[in-house]
Amino acid sequence: MPITLNGDTGILTPMYNGSITSNAVTPSVNMKSRIINGAMVIDQRNAGASVTGNDNVFGVDRFKIQASQSSKLTVQQNAGSVTPPAGFKNYIGITSSSAYTVLSGDYFTLEQPIEGYNIADLDWGTANAKTVTLSFWVRSSLTGTFGGVLQNVNTYSYPFTYTISSANTWEQKSITVTGATTSTWGSTNAVGIRVHFGLGIGTTFAGTAGAWAAANLLGATGQTNIVSTNGATFYITGVQLEVGSTATSFDYRPFGTELALCQRYCINYKSSDAGNYMRYGSGYANSATNLEINVHFPVTMRTNPSLTVTSTASNYAIYVAGGVNACSTVPALDSASDNPSVCTVNANTAGSFSSSAGGSILSNNNTTSYMLFTAEL
Amino acid sequence: MYKLYKCGIGDSNTGVMKINLNSITSIPFDPDNTDYQNFKKEVLAGAELHDVDGNVMTQEQANQFIATLP
Repeated sequence: MPITLNGDTGILTPMYNGSITSNAVTPSVNMKSRIINGAMVIDQRNAGASVTGNDNVFGVDRFKIQASQSSKLTVQQNAGSVTPPAGFKNYIGITSSSAYTVLSGDYFTLEQPIEGYNIADLDWGTANAKTVTLSFWVRSSLTGTFGGVLQNVNTYSYPFTYTISSANTWEQKSITVTGATTSTWGSTNAVGIRVHFGLGIGTTFAGTAGAWAAANLLGATGQTNIVSTNGATFYITGVQLEVGSTATSFDYRPFGTELALCQRYCINYKSSDAGNYMRYGSGYANSATNLEINVHFPVTMRTNPSLTVTSTASNYAIYVAGGVNACSTVPALDSASDNPSVCTVNANTAGSFSSSAGGSILSNNNTTSYMLFTAEL
Repeated sequence: MYKLYKCGIGDSNTGVMKINLNSITSIPFDPDNTDYQNFKKEVLAGAELHDVDGNVMTQEQANQFIATLP
């Protein structure tokens, strides 16, 4: 008999069209949550290490610090090694490095910029703008009123507040935001919505909570400033932004799906993952001292990526015809051949090999080299 | 600090690198790339730009170069 499988109950129900459907037995692969890496699982850059929370530094994939002053914060996946909320294995932890007095023009936030393609259906900027709900688990050594903002690219903002009642205790919060019916919201590969959690906001960038304002706001008036208390902590996970006026269960995606979503913005090939002679790619010799390789990406990146490598050329080598020749210049993009799916990377060596020979660029017997491709928002 | 470089061998294309203490980033001339946006913004604001031979460009030279970019 034709059946349907109900994933909530496991009950098989007769159907008349012969199909089998399922509504809950597989992890989500859609974009209920417009936040990527909301469970803070992926940390390609730092692999769980602590980093100084300077401007545009990523604590985990897709979550970065915005800071008007340097060295006021540290950021780390699972900082402090506390037990995450039930159902989560990771969080991002921010720790204040001093008791900094926030100036009027200062800002310190944890931000995820969401690509326009991923919020285009919200119809923000039109009369049909959809309501969204931001939910998250948060824990701080401080209590009081905290703040954040949803905004476009710095011209239209919705500050919000939430209260942390108990110090060093995970609490789940949700903020419902009526969709913006005006202003400009990206709907392609540029920024659509920026989500900021305020960590220290000067009066210039603070606004009244619960209302849209035509201004570049990064926090709410009167919010608690983490950066102002030395050693204060702010931990967060389970960040979700979804359509509707109610927060629903966290949208767990398969690890591979979440990683691929992150890789649209950041791909980090590390010799620490793959060994002392990790091959970054293969290609051919342009000359007796120069080799170019093509690096194909596992997903199409948001735009033509940048390439970051260590500053020590000899961390890399060119391998041709059985010989390993240390690089004399760091591997660099051949900009003319760059595109979001594949990049050409060049490197030079003081060694010598046959022009047009095949070869590779590889890690030169170390686990510190890497090739970090980024197309962040 | 930013530095221009020649892409590959016998290639007339020029690229730009951002040189930090522990890392070097090569940046595509792509208006959608945020590093590229920051490169233009920072150089126009006075950040040091070296030519392919390593010479520091004057602000006027740097501005003229930026003006030729997409």
